[in-house]
Amino acid sequence: MAFLDSIRERAVSTLNQVLDRKPNRGLSPQEVFCREYNLPNGEVILHDTLAEVSIVSDNSKIGYKDLGPIAQGKVYITEHFLVFRDNYDRLNCSFTLHLSAVKKVERSQTSNYDFTLTITTHSKLNIVLSLVGLRNNSERFGQVLKITLKKNLANIKKLQPFIQTCYSEYLLAKNHVSNEKIEHMPNGGLGLVFKFPGNPREQRDKSKMKLWFDLFRADGRNLSLIKTPMFYKLIRVGLPNRLRGEIWELCCGSMYLRLDNQDEYHLILEANKNKKSLAVDEIEKDLNRSLPEYAAYQSVEGISRLRNVLTAYSWKNPEIGYCQAMNIVVAALLIYMSEEQAFWLLNLLVDRIVPGYYSKTMYGTLLDQKVFESLVQSCMPLLWDHITKNDIQLSVVSLPWFLSLYLSSMPLVFAFRILDVFFLQGPKTLFQVALAILKINGEALLQSEDDGSFISIIKTYFHELDQSAHPTSPNPKYKSITKFQELLVTAFKEFSNITEDTIENHRYKHRDGIFQNISTFVRRTELRNLPKTNNIDSDTLSIIYDRFYSIVQADVTVGTGSNFMDFKSFRQFMAETCDWVQPNINNDKRQDVFLNHLFAQWDSEGQRLITLADLVVGLNKLIDPDLMTSMSNFFQLYDYKNSGKLDRECILQVSEDLLNITNPWKDGILLDQITETAIENAVADEVYKAQASNKEEDKGEGEDEDDKHVTTTSTTTNNHIKLPSEVNIDKEKFAALQSQRYLQAASTFIQRAFEYAQPEEEEILIKDLAIDNTIAHNAALNPNSPVFLNLPTFRMVILADETYELFFSHTLRNSIHLDKPLDSKFDTMRNLKGMFDGLLADGIKVANKVRQRMDSAASSALNPIANSDASSSRSAKSRIQEDEEEERDDDLGVISIDEDILMSQETQGVDGGHSENGKPPPPTSKTTTSSSAGSASNLIEFDLL
Amino acid sequence: MSFPNPATSVKLVLLGEAAVGKSSLVLRFVSNDFQENKEPTIGAAFLTQKCTIGSKVIKYEIWDTAGQERFASLAPMYYRNAQAAIVVYDVTKPASFIRARHWVKELHEQASKDITIALVGNKYDLVEQDSPEDEENNMRKVSVEEGQNLADEEGILFFESSAKSGYNVNDIFIGIGSKIPESKVASSAPGGQGSSNTEGRIDLTSNAANNNRSGGGECAC
Repeated sequence: MAFLDSIRERAVSTLNQVLDRKPNRGLSPQEVFCREYNLPNGEVILHDTLAEVSIVSDNSKIGYKDLGPIAQGKVYITEHFLVFRDNYDRLNCSFTLHLSAVKKVERSQTSNYDFTLTITTHSKLNIVLSLVGLRNNSERFGQVLKITLKKNLANIKKLQPFIQTCYSEYLLAKNHVSNEKIEHMPNGGLGLVFKFPGNPREQRDKSKMKLWFDLFRADGRNLSLIKTPMFYKLIRVGLPNRLRGEIWELCCGSMYLRLDNQDEYHLILEANKNKKSLAVDEIEKDLNRSLPEYAAYQSVEGISRLRNVLTAYSWKNPEIGYCQAMNIVVAALLIYMSEEQAFWLLNLLVDRIVPGYYSKTMYGTLLDQKVFESLVQSCMPLLWDHITKNDIQLSVVSLPWFLSLYLSSMPLVFAFRILDVFFLQGPKTLFQVALAILKINGEALLQSEDDGSFISIIKTYFHELDQSAHPTSPNPKYKSITKFQELLVTAFKEFSNITEDTIENHRYKHRDGIFQNISTFVRRTELRNLPKTNNIDSDTLSIIYDRFYSIVQADVTVGTGSNFMDFKSFRQFMAETCDWVQPNINNDKRQDVFLNHLFAQWDSEGQRLITLADLVVGLNKLIDPDLMTSMSNFFQLYDYKNSGKLDRECILQVSEDLLNITNPWKDGILLDQITETAIENAVADEVYKAQASNKEEDKGEGEDEDDKHVTTTSTTTNNHIKLPSEVNIDKEKFAALQSQRYLQAASTFIQRAFEYAQPEEEEILIKDLAIDNTIAHNAALNPNSPVFLNLPTFRMVILADETYELFFSHTLRNSIHLDKPLDSKFDTMRNLKGMFDGLLADGIKVANKVRQRMDSAASSALNPIANSDASSSRSAKSRIQEDEEEERDDDLGVISIDEDILMSQETQGVDGGHSENGKPPPPTSKTTTSSSAGSASNLIEFDLL
Repeated sequence: MSFPNPATSVKLVLLGEAAVGKSSLVLRFVSNDFQENKEPTIGAAFLTQKCTIGSKVIKYEIWDTAGQERFASLAPMYYRNAQAAIVVYDVTKPASFIRARHWVKELHEQASKDITIALVGNKYDLVEQDSPEDEENNMRKVSVEEGQNLADEEGILFFESSAKSGYNVNDIFIGIGSKIPESKVASSAPGGQGSSNTEGRIDLTSNAANNNRSGGGECAC
């Protein structure tokens, strides 16, 4: 049961994490519990019960012997911990006992109603739990504890080596009040060698040490410490130097990470020895600039420890890597802690205590500055008004306080005192102290009118923290209070109403605004720094940017995720934007050959990863609208050595890739312009026939209506061309024709490529390029004679084939939809039916064609010679032109042409008809009039129907 | 107009990659001092220094920013309303020059329209010993021409300097002071606010000419 429960709860907690990506808000109860008791993430409550706790320590002098129960509260079992908290006042009594530290559990049954467990810890502390509540619940608790302890047996072996690293254990062993054998002083901070900052006598370090010594004997230590009011009191007065590191990691819970992951730190260092990274470079720059005035950081030993911890962290968490200010924080930690202790504390600090402070976008820092400002506004409205009125940038003062935990702002001895409380009470401490600083200096700050004086007031204050807060007071006791003591009292008494919840609520309130700003900033910066792209406008770039990051699943705001695309992501990007890439990965391996090729060519660093810049540069080339450039860009994709020529292998590769990427056209899934025009013409023919037969019935006005310039009003019925809602066209036929054309193009390509490929150094003659369809036996196909295809030849071969020419001038580019919105349901028409429907919906084109036929029939009847002249001159026009008519009519099928369109049609002159789409002119229906035969013969070579 | 006005403040921001010597340039300018291992700037530092140029006295309010790339998202907070900017790179580090180019672009897009920018190649002391024959082993990785070209393209000032030796450091600030538009320097309002008001006034008056006069009147206050 418990096991299933734990699985279920885990699943729920994971699900919650996934569903609610907003950090801190929407934490599952389990996560809240872990944070509250500083347990590692993922600890799950297996059982809980009410209990009375009494403590019996082996030290009869100081212990609680015979004092009876000291607290009533709730006790929880998790997978690795036994957690207790006082029901009424948590500060009165609580403990977080690691199960590895449990030596023995005994059940003593004094009476029928009493269910008592005595837990003996490794520090010889006896914790007596008298369970309160229903008998079977107590029984159950006992069972779960038993099972959990059994499961934890494997972890017991970690205990001994861990004990050896705790200064508390060393302290007791050295004074012969412990059974543990600690032979060496554990690794500690640099302070042990290079002296701790401040004067130990002034800090009364020795007497503080004595107090902790007694506390350890009475209440246990490290993994099995009972937290009583004395514990908190001893932290508030400042920790003794030698114990500071251990108490810090105990307070924030990083000790449990270190226990669970022994060796990991050294393994990370070992695995990444001599490896380079951006973070490593950045760290190197700052090693000599981290607390440089402290003696250890002028020594090789100190610098090397600092380097180790910072680089190990950057490898452990590459998404954070290294952020300036971490160097100062770690340099400070290392004065009191071993490398390993500092490493795990840093992990917990960055991940949990101040999330987002050091991330790539520093969103946590920006957010907390905003939170701080709003707290100033609500706690000190007068000062806030003054700050805003004088346009003082508060964060320039306060940002370093938060980011470097006061270590770069205050004299170190005071900053460490704040850290003592910070690790115990969490991030609210930073806010409480910051508010107190402003409050205490409020009078003076209200006098300052610019950033400069504001900053200097604070600076002076920090330098005088050791001076009396009341220098003129006659009362010596009052006079002896330092400014720092005053600061602590103000921070923790006056601003005790600033709780974790206050901070969380404010963070939640401002989060969206801050995230919005950051994402705008990050996007703007990255888009601006992209290389110039002539073929992609800025709106499209913006869509590419969004698609890129949505595919690599990076959160640019939080600074997580990759900035690179691997092939799989690249494929997905292309599948979303290119008609010729099938979305299903397993669908077509041949197609991936070309994608792989593009990917390899665009990958500027050769790491099998492409950046946004790589992608944009590549796409820009791929969609170049200029036919010549488009062909040479394609050519260059295969010209690996930049030699200007492709060898046999490459030619084969090119032809195969062309064949593969044109699959959708070959399979009739997509239609190119040649087919579209052919279909339009077919439809127009049908409509025209229908119109013509109508007209015959309408004989009355028929013959006189030829001059359209003047008779527009009287012939309204004729000017309205009605497209039938259903036109019978043989879809299969057109698809088959297109398919045939593409197959033909592919086979022609390879034949011609090898025909005109040449041995090296040989001049190529233009006249040799005359297209000959009767290529029989070709010497160039002989694999023994090396041949090459250069760019001009490649172009010739492409230009010689209408289908491939169109492919490079239009088809390819039109099949890449970079501006397709991310969330759009719009799918490029991937099915045949959709394509035909689309064509029909575009009624204007068809209607125009019908109109041309009518005009042509009419004017040829009037003036056959003029018409044939016009059509021969128009045939000389370039076939490749931009579409003029992109307008779509959604009124599928039924299209009425209004006067305006007609008029403009008329004024364009007679030849408006054939050049209107820039497509190969339609094979003017040979059946309609005899006079159009001339133009038809001119165009016959393009007529594939 | 012609008497010296000691209260003329100019907000100046320093931008550039980490460890190119921004804080050192400021330290040299403000205290004529140099520190070998200066702690990295966290967020930003603020210093002031007066500078006499001919008859005018400029009080520079210097915002020295953190250089590491991730701090860039904080930068807008600091260059807001700045009338002048120094974009610094390290003449021995090509990457820092690319970064400088980005900063100049960003300032032109996002900062006050008439901001006076100086591009500065720092750590000149490291390349003084370079010999023209032995380009391979020279410390210098960004040539004077590259720097000058970028400055010309962007229409900004250009200097090479050494915070360590003091070479050219004051010249940067004098150069900026002489180039800052007279109207800005003459504005008596302290700090950046004066500048944004001036800007608004110019814009709106030109609009007001097309519409009506009351628009211009409103914004004079």
